[in-house]
Amino acid sequence: MVVGRVAIPFVPPRLVRRHGWTIGVYALLLASLIFTVAIHPTYGAFDIKSLALGALPLALAAAAQTVVVLSGGIDLTVGPLMAVTNVLAARAMLHSNFRDALLIAVLVLILGCAAGAFNGSIVVFSRVPDIVVTLAMSFVWGGVALLILEKPGGGAPLDFQNLAQEATLSPWVPNALVLLIVVVAAVWMPLRGSRLGLALYAIGSDRTAAHASGVNVPLVRILAYTLSGVFAAIGGLALTMTTGIGSPLSGSFYTLSGVATIVLGGVSLAGGKGGMLGPMAAAFILTLIPADLIFLGIDPNYGQVIQGIVIVLVVMVGGLAALRRKPA
Amino acid sequence: MGAAVLTFGVVDLLAACGGSSTSGAAKTYKVGVSNTLTGNGWREEMICSIKAQGKASGNVTQVTVANRNGGPAEQIADLRNLISAGVNAIILNPSDRDALNAVIKEAAGKGIVVVAVDQAVSAPEAYVLSNDQVKYGQLGAEWLFKQLKGTGSVVEMRGIDGVPADTDRHQGFTTALANYPGIKIVAQTFTGWSLNPAAQQINDLFSSGKKIDGVWTSGIDATIIDAYQTAKKPFVPTVGADNNKFVGQLVSLKSSGLVGAAVTNPPPVGGAGLAVALDVLAGKSHPKLIKLTPEVWDNTSSAGVSTLQSKYDASLDPYYSVQYAVAPYTTYTKAQLIACQS
Repeated sequence: MVVGRVAIPFVPPRLVRRHGWTIGVYALLLASLIFTVAIHPTYGAFDIKSLALGALPLALAAAAQTVVVLSGGIDLTVGPLMAVTNVLAARAMLHSNFRDALLIAVLVLILGCAAGAFNGSIVVFSRVPDIVVTLAMSFVWGGVALLILEKPGGGAPLDFQNLAQEATLSPWVPNALVLLIVVVAAVWMPLRGSRLGLALYAIGSDRTAAHASGVNVPLVRILAYTLSGVFAAIGGLALTMTTGIGSPLSGSFYTLSGVATIVLGGVSLAGGKGGMLGPMAAAFILTLIPADLIFLGIDPNYGQVIQGIVIVLVVMVGGLAALRRKPA
Repeated sequence: MGAAVLTFGVVDLLAACGGSSTSGAAKTYKVGVSNTLTGNGWREEMICSIKAQGKASGNVTQVTVANRNGGPAEQIADLRNLISAGVNAIILNPSDRDALNAVIKEAAGKGIVVVAVDQAVSAPEAYVLSNDQVKYGQLGAEWLFKQLKGTGSVVEMRGIDGVPADTDRHQGFTTALANYPGIKIVAQTFTGWSLNPAAQQINDLFSSGKKIDGVWTSGIDATIIDAYQTAKKPFVPTVGADNNKFVGQLVSLKSSGLVGAAVTNPPPVGGAGLAVALDVLAGKSHPKLIKLTPEVWDNTSSAGVSTLQSKYDASLDPYYSVQYAVAPYTTYTKAQLIACQS
């Protein structure tokens, strides 16, 4: 704690203690960016856009996972749900105009919402462990994606794609980044401060205590999965924007990499601890690693090894910091 | 190419600074490779062929490989990073036909030559060099159905559901099937182009007791022959690809009753793609679409047997394709391919 006070004199120690991990992740992101510029001096607006485009779907997958993990659950359907919404949107948007595309996007969001609620209801009412239910449902949604589009196809109007692909405000501020900030600000921020947000953390920390204090635990659990479905649907729409097509296999990588991202972002897999801002920065860090490997010309097979080492190291350092804090 | 030596230093310096050197003046090049399926023998050989061709060409200073499992979104990110790294040419095995068009256009706008190998892209800026995958499915299936004299139960062991090459091959398979009403498909499986699932699937089929008269595989072939041997079952006519071990089996197990055919699908389309890219950078012209027609090497005709015999190579990795070159494009030696160094 003394170290913390000396190192960051202008930040109140309480803030550092409560948000230490998040601050740490953003410091790590800054360090990774500085490292990237050092090894690749021409790093510029083009690369910032590459980074934002690459991080957007991962960040949204992480957001979807965060909500459920905070509530003390796990959602293995995030990737397949992204694929379902991705192929659904791309199939419906083919040859449509921008206005219709926006309408379709809204419908897809509602569908994501319903799919999430469906997942949550099965978890709650079947009383089968969430990891089993969502694992089984991941196969169901993966199959649904293949039924909607057997192979990559569909399309989306260029204006809709540009919602993520362009940089309207300034070449240095890619739309993908703006989109992510808007989504998190519009969906997560209001919820975080609300009674529901509190209930979400409460059931994640201690379900019995939450129940005793009058929280409707089953309802909040279902709502967590519903919200996860919404974020997954936005992730699927983001994939439609960044690739311009629907691919039934597009979600395969996002379930587990989403989990890795939230762990790096400081969300406890035990539930009840963490936030949304950490995982967002973590998504950018994990997107920078393969880029740096390309700039360095290192065998990319090391990419996953490095990613794993970074996560283990960060979680270890975080755990040690928490241990040192306890006696004080 | 005497001038090449003189300009070497300058261009190298330019490339090192990340400056996109104009195609006319540059005599040495940086090459980027993008691949999104890892841990697959065919794809590894494809990448090695690009490295080998870079070495054999003598004017490639660096081959940067972006190789990870992913879909179009990840590949777009990799391609953008390769553009930023200042490469002069990009050889890619596309994860999708249409999804990469925007980034390919961006690359072409910066003077980068883009060659899609193995599978096609629809971007008009890109060169495409690939095996005809529809024909791959069709030719092998026709051989098998003819071998079965038009009647029997066949297993179709496909690749990865939803991947363009798998869909194309299935289309060819279905086209061939339409002419053979007596052929019944008793099972269709997805091997994921991996050995273990394929072995599991054929063993499951054995225990199911289904009658199998022939097996068509999308290239996971030797595993099936191994399974028949382990189960001590009599071989059935089997179609595979030009993989070293399978080619060897077609020769050595012919006397034990194995009847089969290997359909070609050469991984060195990667190296051939680089050769085309370097030609274009040097100002030579190539057609935008280069399609290789697969050959069928069966062990029932004498011509087929002698081809199989000459192609089998005990020194090569068992799961590598025996086709280590794609004439007339690749110029490297077999040793360079096996060394796999850029």
